[in-house]
Amino acid sequence: MKLLRVGRWITAVGLLALAGVYVRAFAFTPIERFQGEAQKIYYVHVPSAVTAMIAMGLVGLAGILYLLLKDPRFDRFGEASAEVGTIFSLVMLTTGPMWAKPIWGTWWTWDARLTLTLFLFLLFIGYLVLRGAVTDPGLRARYSAVLGICGIPLLAFIHLSVYLFRTLHPQPIVLKPSAPSLPGSMLITLLLGFGVFFVLYVGFVIQRYALGYLREQLEASGGEVGHA
Amino acid sequence: MPEGVPATGGYMIAAYVITAVVLLAYTISLYRRSKKL
Repeated sequence: MKLLRVGRWITAVGLLALAGVYVRAFAFTPIERFQGEAQKIYYVHVPSAVTAMIAMGLVGLAGILYLLLKDPRFDRFGEASAEVGTIFSLVMLTTGPMWAKPIWGTWWTWDARLTLTLFLFLLFIGYLVLRGAVTDPGLRARYSAVLGICGIPLLAFIHLSVYLFRTLHPQPIVLKPSAPSLPGSMLITLLLGFGVFFVLYVGFVIQRYALGYLREQLEASGGEVGHA
Repeated sequence: MPEGVPATGGYMIAAYVITAVVLLAYTISLYRRSKKL
């Protein structure tokens, strides 16, 4: 299938570019004076978090469009974006504690932003479990759309949590109304990270979407499908 | 490493390794699932 091949190529480009982010982060960014090398986790942690949030936003948007238009392509896209979002959430939730331990002295704390991002991960899991539990395709698509839409307000809370609550997370230093407060080499590496993680998101989603489509075709033709 | 800077490189390496492992594992998972269909 052509879509699957396109997705594979985009993913391959994304993985190669990820190696470029690693090289930039290790060799071409300064070591932060107070945090040491652990600060460089920033270049994968923040892009993975932002990509997970974009994935959730698009799951919600696909849900709205599905409920309005009843087009199964939006349901299929929502499924793909949710699965890929789970992967980026996993990266966010594993790299975060590795940064927190040397800087905050603990792997985890029930800080507002950490708790809300854990909710995001659990929402992705819940979305996928729901899809696995409902067998009727129409009901599955409708329930999933509603759950996906519920994720949209969560994104606003995650972004605003550093303003609304007392939290260990710092205030935004790039995604804020004024100019980013980062040295040039750090900013370039971070922006490269954003770009690469988004390319990977696109490559993964295209592949996952194509798999969903092929599985549906196989089910419709009465073929046996023993796996997702 | 400049003097006085905390030695936290192990955490950085662990985070980068985990990121690569998760993303590569998912890439392989997608590939294998497509081959089984």
